[in-house]
Amino acid sequence: MAARGRSRRTLSFSVDSVGINRGESLPPTLQQPTPVFPVMEQKPLPLTGGEEAEYLLALKQDFRGAMRSLPCFIQPAAALRDVERYSDKYHSSEHTDGLMDWTPDWQRFPRELRIHARKPARDGVSVARSDAQSAQKKKKKKVREKEEVLIKLETLQKKEEQQSEEDDDDDNTEQKKKQEDDDADGDEEYDEEEFEEETDYIMSYFDNGEDFGGDSDDNMDEAIY
Amino acid sequence: MTAQEVRLCGLLLHEHFGEVVEKVGTHLLRSGAQNLRTIIHETGLSVDLVKKSLMVLVQHGACLFSSGRKGPGSPTEYRSGCDRILRILRYPRYIYTAKTLYGDTGELVVEELLQRGHMTMSGTVKTVADRLTQNMEEGRSMDYSEVSSAFSKLVETHFLQRCPKLAGAGTADSTSPAAGATPAAPGTPAAPASAIPPTPESFPDCYKVPHMTLVGRGKRQLAAEDGEDQRNAKRQKMDSEAHGDEGIYWQVNFERFHLHFRDQAIISAVANKLDQTSSEIVRTMLRMSEVTTSPAATCTKPLSANEIFRSLPASYNIPRPILDQYLTLLVDDPMEFVGKAGESGGGMYVVNLHRALANLARATLESVVQERFGSRSARIFRLLLRKRHLEQKQVEDFAMIPAKEAKDMLYTLLSQNLVQLQEIPKTPDYAPSRTFYLYTVNQLPTARMLLQNCYKTVANLIERRLFESKESKRLLEKSQRIEAILASLQASGAEPEQLTEVEEMITAPEKQQLDALKLHINKLDSAENQVDETIFLLESYVNSTATSTG
Repeated sequence: MAARGRSRRTLSFSVDSVGINRGESLPPTLQQPTPVFPVMEQKPLPLTGGEEAEYLLALKQDFRGAMRSLPCFIQPAAALRDVERYSDKYHSSEHTDGLMDWTPDWQRFPRELRIHARKPARDGVSVARSDAQSAQKKKKKKVREKEEVLIKLETLQKKEEQQSEEDDDDDNTEQKKKQEDDDADGDEEYDEEEFEEETDYIMSYFDNGEDFGGDSDDNMDEAIY
Repeated sequence: MTAQEVRLCGLLLHEHFGEVVEKVGTHLLRSGAQNLRTIIHETGLSVDLVKKSLMVLVQHGACLFSSGRKGPGSPTEYRSGCDRILRILRYPRYIYTAKTLYGDTGELVVEELLQRGHMTMSGTVKTVADRLTQNMEEGRSMDYSEVSSAFSKLVETHFLQRCPKLAGAGTADSTSPAAGATPAAPGTPAAPASAIPPTPESFPDCYKVPHMTLVGRGKRQLAAEDGEDQRNAKRQKMDSEAHGDEGIYWQVNFERFHLHFRDQAIISAVANKLDQTSSEIVRTMLRMSEVTTSPAATCTKPLSANEIFRSLPASYNIPRPILDQYLTLLVDDPMEFVGKAGESGGGMYVVNLHRALANLARATLESVVQERFGSRSARIFRLLLRKRHLEQKQVEDFAMIPAKEAKDMLYTLLSQNLVQLQEIPKTPDYAPSRTFYLYTVNQLPTARMLLQNCYKTVANLIERRLFESKESKRLLEKSQRIEAILASLQASGAEPEQLTEVEEMITAPEKQQLDALKLHINKLDSAENQVDETIFLLESYVNSTATSTG
């Protein structure tokens, strides 16, 4: 701007009308952004106190607290932490008593927003229920699973001498009975064979080596590796 | 939908509805009308979470849905507006107003409706009766009819209104009842694919209280049951009984509350400027014209002095000539609250609503300049407001401030954008030596700018409060747990030694820290409420100019 006037020190606007007199220096140019918390020349006024202000404050804080416990306060499924901690047992029961999930009047909402309660997926996460309820069901399921594992071990021990087919049949019927008991409580079905330890793998995938070498003894043509 | 508004809306949604709703809400605010698939894709949340959040937003009126732009076959679009979400800041004021007008019952009714968004009358009455019964002494309970009458009174004075019937919702209304309508199917035949959602007031039944059969008293919740039983018991109580008002939902009418606040602001301004009697006269005039004035009216309908005289409250025993003098004083006052509209009937007087709002906004701007820059800068500001355009030299002369300081102050105000520079050229080539440079203040743009500053202020206050609570999160949790332990001990009847032992688990410096934290949080909250009062004033002013020009 100042270089336009061919080495003469003139500015683009007339100095008189804006009020800068000759000989007065302009304020120094800023070389960096203005400070984040500039110093205030005037202190701000104090807040108005009084009964009304306090009542409004109490109303506001109560309202906020009340909203947290209503079903319209949506919290995403808590991310599983890396290690199971002892306090998880206590934290998971904190948010269970929001007033029960509100059943909206579907006439006032578009159809596509309807969430249908599906059967829970294999890993036990139920879509339409609150996380707390699914956590409770998970816990119950774990307990039930452990009981069943124990019962199954006992029955297997008892029937070890008998033939394998009879063993399987008995186990299957007992499994079915247990499954029916389970299904009576919740609508979950799980395949015990696949679900033994809540892994993603089918249990029969893991061959525990008992069958190795037992069969195919007849055919000695093939080499055994 | 400025950046500051969106930021503030995001913080408010986070505090009241959780972070999932916040994500969806801010996305809608930023991107305009969108359909469900786009929202799911762009927010990256799971389908069900997005659906739930949209339902929450629609339930609270923050989001509207309509059939898509491309015609009846396209998916529903959802759009959201900042205004409705910013109202959340004003909820305490609404509840407090209901309390002053209709007592505790009215207060709880309004609070329930604000918490739930839309509710039926029977649902509200039951919940409020239960809550009131909870706080009463043993053996007494609140009758449903009392709560119903409070509800009806609120509806009669238009503080509550029916929710508008939504076209394009789940099933069609009167046309095809069993058509299995898709959400995009047009609803009522009377609304031919209108892009504007129907306002609640466009329905004739807006303020009609439904005939409802609801007899009973509030139920007291027994505290001795454990969680599981209580939930089952609640479920049994809430099983649906038809009360004759199914499908009629009510919401709070914010506009009516705003009119009430505006009237209160005018009355208190008159009381501050003149005296109590004049404010009573203005209050009477406003009360008389409550039903005859439309919300967007510039001034009330003319009232004759005779009518005013008859309607004055009995406690104000002023004789007729004194009333006339008061009215003349009000008319001559430079604030122009009251104007004279004719001579018949002893003089016809109106309350100038829009002009009053403009003057109140102007007073707010002046006070902001005064508190931020000092009284001399405020003098310059007021001068420029009054005289519109002034040159540098004239400012110095009129304000009676020495040249150097006046220049400094003017430049500070200019750099803060409160004062603008207007160039008037003498020659077509805008040569600087031959151009007038005039300083001016434009009230409306300055008010808008200050309004945005207020939004930013509230957002900063909220963030600071969240920061403070996060810093002391551990301490707060500890104190909450100790309170819970104390409460359970007291409920089971423990000795005082045990109580003191538990109380001593919080050490003295921790207690000090907690007290300081509480003080800070209360201050920040209280500041939010106060800034909201300024926001209300500036918003009303900006909206009033919009309606009068547009």
